[in-house]
Amino acid sequence: MNEAAIEAHGIGRVFESRKGFLMQERVRTVALDGVELSVRPGELFGLLGPNGAGKTTLTKILSTLLLPTRGQAKVLGVDVARNPELVRPRIGLVLGGERGLYNRVSARENLRYFADLFGIPVERREPRIVEVLARVGLTDSADRRVEEFSRGMKQKLHLARGILHWPQVLFLDEPTIGLDPRSARETRKLVRGLVSDGVTIFLTTHYMFEAEELCHRIAVLGHGKIIATDTVAALRQLVGGDRTFEVEGYGFEDAELAQLRRLPGVSKIVSEEFGPRLRLTLRVRTREIVPEDIRGVLLNHAELSVRERGTSLEDVYLDLVEEGT
Amino acid sequence: MIELSVSRARSTLASLRLAVLMFLADPQWLIPSMIAPVIFGLVAFEIFRGSGPYFVVYAILGAGMMSMWGQTLYGSGWATGQDREFGTLEPTLQAPTPYLYVVLGRVIWNVLSGLIGGLIVYLVVILAYGRPPPLVDPWAFAGLFVFVVLTLAAVGVVFAAFYVYTRYAGFIQNVGEFAFYVGTGCMFPVVLLPFWTSPFSLFFPPTWALDALRYLAIPGYAGFSWGFGIDLLGAVGTTAVYLAVAGSVFQQVQRHVLESGDLQEY
Repeated sequence: MNEAAIEAHGIGRVFESRKGFLMQERVRTVALDGVELSVRPGELFGLLGPNGAGKTTLTKILSTLLLPTRGQAKVLGVDVARNPELVRPRIGLVLGGERGLYNRVSARENLRYFADLFGIPVERREPRIVEVLARVGLTDSADRRVEEFSRGMKQKLHLARGILHWPQVLFLDEPTIGLDPRSARETRKLVRGLVSDGVTIFLTTHYMFEAEELCHRIAVLGHGKIIATDTVAALRQLVGGDRTFEVEGYGFEDAELAQLRRLPGVSKIVSEEFGPRLRLTLRVRTREIVPEDIRGVLLNHAELSVRERGTSLEDVYLDLVEEGT
Repeated sequence: MIELSVSRARSTLASLRLAVLMFLADPQWLIPSMIAPVIFGLVAFEIFRGSGPYFVVYAILGAGMMSMWGQTLYGSGWATGQDREFGTLEPTLQAPTPYLYVVLGRVIWNVLSGLIGGLIVYLVVILAYGRPPPLVDPWAFAGLFVFVVLTLAAVGVVFAAFYVYTRYAGFIQNVGEFAFYVGTGCMFPVVLLPFWTSPFSLFFPPTWALDALRYLAIPGYAGFSWGFGIDLLGAVGTTAVYLAVAGSVFQQVQRHVLESGDLQEY
């Protein structure tokens, strides 16, 4: 039996806060509204979504730090709300950022402390700390105070802490945010290495290329719901194809747009102002049409630019999020 | 797969160790733990000068309690506040160790540093004004002295819980600090305070414990009319209540953390 590493069924989460001078007004926010997902063992699963979509809330629920208002979530077959104590030793969590570390002590001391809290066997503790520090590239800085670390080094230390206790499932909440390109690339390499080791990874990110490069499957979260879940290739088909034509010009008429829609394989046309010009984005499913077909429809436009490119994950994401609104 | 074995004692020791390292790494703590006791010692001595042959003992106890109060109670309250400030509360709660044992390690360190503060007061008074009269039963005094510090820690642990509930806990604690000094009889016996304050004073374990300590240290001391035995019972009883409240509150704190999800902000 190949049980899912992570499962969520109908997960909902509501936050209530108060505002006003006397806190008299109650504000209710629905962060998650019936999330369904399943992550396979050994999979690198990406969760995308705009700010406030509920990514961090879902990550916290799955990593036992937050109770869901409704629904059930299981990690490695164990209910995260009912038996968090059984889940915690088997999962790692990397929230990242400048905070979340004891800055006045060294990287090694930070790891030593968490190694003890996680109950790593005493005789394995020091070798394991050396091992994870080497893995994230912090061996030379192991005994420096964390307050002297750059953002990238802190992020590496977050990762080192997350993998210290050999977790089977690792939750990464925007692990490369704010990192310079080199540090971000090193982090992605490390994440790929963990997947090779068989660790299941649940990754939230804002960076489309990162999700496209790393993830086996991606879920798009919008307004507290999963809008779509699949591989990047399948998601491209879902939003109208893996070919995209960008057409820029002036004064396109409705009749011309209707003619473009009738071209074979054209599944979707999005029109938007692009500076003084108008940009049409055509999503195309088949190989049949070529730029000349589009030029043929828009013959009377002198200042016309037609460019073909592959449908990026960003296109997919924006389409899905817009459709979800 | 490596078998993890979470031990509460080990987690407490790890927390204690980290607290010591954090203390050593941050010179600002020298002020409450090393410099304040010196000032308290000198001030207390001047206040009690000429009040009798045991005024040195009274000065030591009063000033010692004040410095220990600052270090132990305030430090214990800050045990959770620091995790909120550093953003380490969530990673710590995500570990399999119950959070209470992490706080306990920090409280133990605060007790130890409080004892150091008490010792500093003792040395200052001796160096400045000479040795106090010998104690009748120094071992009983030493044992009770450690217990007094534990009573402070018990109050501190309850405070620690409030740091999770509200970021204004530090402010409340600061405001209440001097009321506690007076109300628990650090400098002046509680019997000298207005009658209506007694119920409040007796609510705090250090009031009982400090009075008991004075019975042991000062021959002929007349504090609460019920005497040493009841003082001791009162101290043990109120401390037990505080510890029970702390344990229960921390269960609720962990639940609150799971329900609110807003503890990354500070």
